[in-house]
Amino acid sequence: MNIGNFSARRVSRRSVVAAVAATALALTGCSSGGDDKPAEKPTGTVTVKVWAWYPEFKAVVDQFNATHTDVKIEWTNAGTGQDQYTKLQTALKAGKGAPDVVMLELQEIPTFALTKHLVDLGKYGANDVKGDYAGWAWSQVSSGDQVYAIPVDAGPMAMMYRDDIFKKYNLTVPTTWDEYKAQAEKLKTASGGKSFMTDFGANDGGFMTGLFWQAGAKPYAYDIANPSSIGVNVNSAEAKKVFEYWEGMVGNGLADTTAFHTTDFYNGLGSEKYATYLAAGWGPGYIQANAGGAAGKWKVAPLPQWTAGANAQGDWGGSSFAVTDQAKYPDIAAKVAIEIFGAKNSEAWKIGIDKAFLFPTVTPVLEADTFTGKTYDFFGGQKVNEVFVPAYSAIGELDWSPFNSYNFNQLTTNLGQAIEKKTSWTAALDTAQENIKTYATQQGFKVQ
Amino acid sequence: MTEVQTSPTAAPAAVGPSGGTAGTRRAARLKEAATGWLFVLPFAVLLIAFLLLPMAYAFKISLYRSTLIEGEVFAWFDNYKQAIDDPLVREGVVRVLVFGLIQTPVMIVLALVAALLIDAATSRFSRFFRLAAFVPYAVPVVIGTLMWGFLYSDSVGPFAWTGIDFTSTGTVLASLGNIVTWQWAGYNMIVLYAALQGLPRETYESARIDGASEVQIALRIKTPMIGSALVLATLFTIMGTLQFFTEPLILQPLNPGAITTHYTPNIYAYQQAFSFQQYNYSAAISFLLGAVVFVGSYIFLFATRKRSALQ
Repeated sequence: MNIGNFSARRVSRRSVVAAVAATALALTGCSSGGDDKPAEKPTGTVTVKVWAWYPEFKAVVDQFNATHTDVKIEWTNAGTGQDQYTKLQTALKAGKGAPDVVMLELQEIPTFALTKHLVDLGKYGANDVKGDYAGWAWSQVSSGDQVYAIPVDAGPMAMMYRDDIFKKYNLTVPTTWDEYKAQAEKLKTASGGKSFMTDFGANDGGFMTGLFWQAGAKPYAYDIANPSSIGVNVNSAEAKKVFEYWEGMVGNGLADTTAFHTTDFYNGLGSEKYATYLAAGWGPGYIQANAGGAAGKWKVAPLPQWTAGANAQGDWGGSSFAVTDQAKYPDIAAKVAIEIFGAKNSEAWKIGIDKAFLFPTVTPVLEADTFTGKTYDFFGGQKVNEVFVPAYSAIGELDWSPFNSYNFNQLTTNLGQAIEKKTSWTAALDTAQENIKTYATQQGFKVQ
Repeated sequence: MTEVQTSPTAAPAAVGPSGGTAGTRRAARLKEAATGWLFVLPFAVLLIAFLLLPMAYAFKISLYRSTLIEGEVFAWFDNYKQAIDDPLVREGVVRVLVFGLIQTPVMIVLALVAALLIDAATSRFSRFFRLAAFVPYAVPVVIGTLMWGFLYSDSVGPFAWTGIDFTSTGTVLASLGNIVTWQWAGYNMIVLYAALQGLPRETYESARIDGASEVQIALRIKTPMIGSALVLATLFTIMGTLQFFTEPLILQPLNPGAITTHYTPNIYAYQQAFSFQQYNYSAAISFLLGAVVFVGSYIFLFATRKRSALQ
């Protein structure tokens, strides 16, 4: 385990870091902002402030503190998602009040990297653990040798389906989207319109992007190393293909459009209203906690494909740990970010997997029998990670914009209104594309 | 009532009548002014610290333009120009104006009828009714709205059998209006009821002797006599509807396609500041909205100046 050698490694790393930082200062001055702080020598136990909203995170923190004497995590739950980001933006702008280490969802990393308040963890040994993560996951948090965050969990997508409903109406598990639609029509007729094949929640930009991702869409071309230039291609042919398909599903009464994460949605999952749920890797734990009604009746199959026999996958959600420029000892903060849910910290992952239902991004944990071989009562004893893990490995790369709140807002607002007013979904994508381009230009980006 | 009216005149009368020289009178006036300021001081400090200074700061940042790449630059009234041209701001303003035009009369009429009813009857039932109508106001807005969110649910709500989608584009404004009425009608009722209680009862007696029916007394005697309270309640309702924010924000997750992020100007400003970090643009929208509310309130007060006694 990593715990015993933490302090020894830290000392050596720190001297290396100090040397590197000094060289960097000598060579380039202060070109890359405030993150070139030479590491000061801490005395006694260093307290590292961490903001995160993972479930069961207290146990992870307690475990970390019990096994470290030289560093202590002081954890705060500063709100979920946007609530935390608002506080973080304010604190970063104010120059004080931000934590040393902060949880960021993958899609938010460019937004915060653009503010130049994230420490380049590449200088503190982050590239040493690069090999522990799938290529696409590492590309989400880095640009070349610059590393802005350490991945923690991900949301590879798969299709959760109700085995009981499938058996009742004699449906077969679809492997392509065409088959999926055919089964949906069969279900509609057989159930007399009582059951929908699924729910397409128009209020979750991450869900939509996950489906675009699988279809091979690249909504943005953005590199944090070249921050003022961006390519916007939100209404690509691939994205339109996805929306055309789902517009047809919804228009024909095969898919419902109840907003995700609402009472009505959970009730639909717990009753017989929805036969499938296009879920992310964190979905099982999430559904179990919020819609436990149909426990034992769910099963998991790979996401249906656009091309028969293909293996295209997408991601919905996931998070990471970044270090802010307010960390007094960025080297120690970086160690904490790397180690909390690091490849060697199997104790933390035991809590993360069994209690918090996180889907790990570190491949040694992911590929261990304890994870792939884990059976879930909620899924009638199925080893669901045998589906999710290969999906995780097959995901391609995707760039996020440095204004993701606006991006998600455009996707959800325009699609939401198209559904309400029964207008074209692809036109909604065109509107989003135009608005985003205008916004990016107004914000000073060179838009390609 | 009588004490309040006499005290301001009584106080100087105690100092004044001795008819001293102009100098002592001026000194007395100064001392009086100083005492007055001393009394106002705690309020003035809070007003300046928590209202005027933040407003001045907001006005200042509304004159700057901040972009993700170029940072902050002084831009005069560019943000205001952008806000006036922004169709999303306009959509929100039109929506709250329409909402106010419908909501205000409905609310005030309901509150007035309820107040007149409980004023006329003094049974145990009227006391219970008075409390029951007031209770929704005691429930925090957030909790009341969440509760209505469940009541509107089409899977667990008690009205699910009607088949009405309470949160669709066509119905959601009425659903929100219902929540606002539920929450505020009781409060307005109490305001009007308190005004009714202050009226001299002899007036009704003479009206009755003159042969007026109870309905006539309510409409022709009581209602005109509480004119200023009515104006006040209406004014608060107008200001509240123009600044419509909490209820739609809380119901938004139920159907973001119907309750968009530009549903009302306040929600739009909130979104700009706290989701997109456009604090400058948000400040400009807020000031524009403030101007609309101010002008709207002024027009209303001017139109009702004879009744209001607020001039």
